[in-house]
Amino acid sequence: MPTSVRRFVAGAAGLSAVALLAGCAKNAPQDTWQPKGPNAQKIDDLQKPVFAIAGIVGLIVFAAVAYAVFRFKDRGQPIPEQTHGKPVLEIGMTILPALLLAGIGVFTFRTIFDLAKTDDTEMVINVTGQQWWWEYDYPVQTDYGITNPIITSGQLVIPTGTKVLLRETSRDVIHSYWIPALNGKRDAVPGRVHYLRLEADKPGIYAGQCTEFCGLSHAVMRMEAVALDKADFAAWVKGQLELADSPAEGTLAKEGESVFLNQCVRCHQVNGLKKADGSPAIAAPEENVWSGAAPNLTHLMTRNTFAGASWDLLTKECRKDVWEAPGGEFGKKYLAGVTEECLNQTDLRRWLRNAPAMKPMYADPTKLGPTDGKYRGMPNLGLSEDDIDKLVAYLATLK
Amino acid sequence: MFTNGSKYFIGVTGFSAVVLVIYVVLVDGAVGGAVALASIMLAVGLLAGLALFNRDGDVEVGDAAAPANAVPVGSSLWPLVTTLGIVAMGVGLITHEIVFLLGLTALVAGFVEWVIQGWSESASSDRRFNNAARGRLIHPLEFPVIATVGAGVIVVSFSRIMLAISKTTGAVLFTIVGALVLAGGVFFAVRPNLKKSVAVGLCVIGAVGVVAGGIAGASVGKRDQLVEANEEDHFAHKECGEEKSKYFDFNSEAKVSMRSNPMATIEFVDGKLQARELGLKKLTDRITVQKSNNISVIFRNKTEGEYRLTLFYGEKEVQEGVVEELHNCTQMIESGEEQLLTFRIDRPSIASEKPYKFYVPGVEDQSIEVVVP
Repeated sequence: MPTSVRRFVAGAAGLSAVALLAGCAKNAPQDTWQPKGPNAQKIDDLQKPVFAIAGIVGLIVFAAVAYAVFRFKDRGQPIPEQTHGKPVLEIGMTILPALLLAGIGVFTFRTIFDLAKTDDTEMVINVTGQQWWWEYDYPVQTDYGITNPIITSGQLVIPTGTKVLLRETSRDVIHSYWIPALNGKRDAVPGRVHYLRLEADKPGIYAGQCTEFCGLSHAVMRMEAVALDKADFAAWVKGQLELADSPAEGTLAKEGESVFLNQCVRCHQVNGLKKADGSPAIAAPEENVWSGAAPNLTHLMTRNTFAGASWDLLTKECRKDVWEAPGGEFGKKYLAGVTEECLNQTDLRRWLRNAPAMKPMYADPTKLGPTDGKYRGMPNLGLSEDDIDKLVAYLATLK
Repeated sequence: MFTNGSKYFIGVTGFSAVVLVIYVVLVDGAVGGAVALASIMLAVGLLAGLALFNRDGDVEVGDAAAPANAVPVGSSLWPLVTTLGIVAMGVGLITHEIVFLLGLTALVAGFVEWVIQGWSESASSDRRFNNAARGRLIHPLEFPVIATVGAGVIVVSFSRIMLAISKTTGAVLFTIVGALVLAGGVFFAVRPNLKKSVAVGLCVIGAVGVVAGGIAGASVGKRDQLVEANEEDHFAHKECGEEKSKYFDFNSEAKVSMRSNPMATIEFVDGKLQARELGLKKLTDRITVQKSNNISVIFRNKTEGEYRLTLFYGEKEVQEGVVEELHNCTQMIESGEEQLLTFRIDRPSIASEKPYKFYVPGVEDQSIEVVVP
């Protein structure tokens, strides 16, 4: 065998081995082959046999081609007798794939219809995509203790063993919601409401990723679904319904509240926050942000992530502690929220210092003509280090 | 010395100059019209010069000698059309812009046709060949223009008829017209050997009928409902309260496709308002919608009479010290019908002193609260 061919074969074999071994990664939270709920399980039950059948067909075809290539290689022999058509073979080779596809089609359609059902769901959550984060609001559902709507972002919290129906839409461009462990993808389209079933068998955090290119920071538009058992979910709901408390007078956090009122409340709502005159502070993102919304930060420290789930609010150790907690302990650890010791101050400070430097956004104040002067993303607020200290202290109180 | 063609163009040039002077003197500040007239004057003046220079295009013989291959020519319509165009332009300058434009169109069309007809009639001694030569040149222009004008006349005629007659009569009439067109098509299909004259005759009768109907409709004017509604200014003002108009919104067609992606269905059942959010089984008197997003709900009237669904979604200071309530609403919906209402609320509920709500005007004790987190 010539040296060049040997090198080619060795390279191809090496690359194939790398690709094959990549499938064995243990830390792969977005692995489509590890379903953690009945909806994803349905997809898995379909895709495995389909892949198997496709693999067998592929092998047969490759083998037939290889056999023909080597068996009938030109060795100077006379041209074999030419035949024109073998009806039995041709009809057979048409009917066999058709039957195969029809069989796969039956199971595929059944799965599609099962995943499209909306009449047996037990809970509803509105999911709204915008550049580049997801907002979740929970309509009033007294069966789950949701006596007033809840609004949050970044992490979707659901009760385990509950058929949840996501009503997806978008405020700006098309996004796509995908948490591989719990179900397939569904586009979030402006002006339309699309439905996606979600159900998790066990408590835990399930990672996802926007799968429709949606602009500069599409690659870091992430999401996480947090499944809590029913008691823990009830505790989470109770916490989310509470208003934010104002920090004690004379503390750094109280000073941070003033900074928040001056800078952040233009876009970010904190329910319960009051202005100096005692009236409620109401954010007006519709005047400053192209999509008309910015994350509600009332319970920021109950989430483990910020900036569209792109960065962790927890330090690496604390994050690992929560993510890898056994089922029975997970809820307790998650509900503890972000404690002072676990707060990832490094990334949070970087974000407050210059958000567009961390996550590319259309936030250059000199280039807002096409959006009528409104930002798409968080601009650099030009905060001083002193203000950042105060803000971090205040944000840490939002539990 | 002057050929026939050049005499005509010299006359038109002189006429244009006179009209231009009168126009400039009588019409103050209308630069567009003066420019148009001056352009026409220059154009026909140029044509006069050309006609004079090339002896009306007949380079072989002088104007005193008849061409050897000349055949007797028939009468022509185009000088008349051209003259009418000039007259209409003059009248249009005094009366209305549209008359002027029609005259200009007639002038250009008549002139072009006249020139081409004149050219084709001297092309050979064979009249059929001459006609064919004219057709090859002018038909690609004539047919699209005639078709466009014809279609326009039919469309305008139809619209005049539809505006004049009542909605019910319109539905009946155009069902009959549609049936007649279908019957005509079937008749032509089953009689392939039908004489061309019969087919043309039937088409002409149909077209004349439509145009006559259009003229009659235009003479009668719009039906009373349209006139009165227009006087009430309902087309400019969106009414969301209790309906006071005599004709507004009657018989609104309101079938909603589920593909419209409604967030909720709101029903007015026997005088009671109730909502059902998609995905939730229980009826509710409070629905949650996303902020700053286009949301659609279906309103279904299941109460005798016509009702509309109105959304109150806050207040807005339209000018200093003047605050207006914000409303959005469906049309009046007949019992058993439904309609989609799409709205967008930019402020959360806590920004409003009064809660956002859906209600049915005239039925004040029934409402669905709208919560915007």
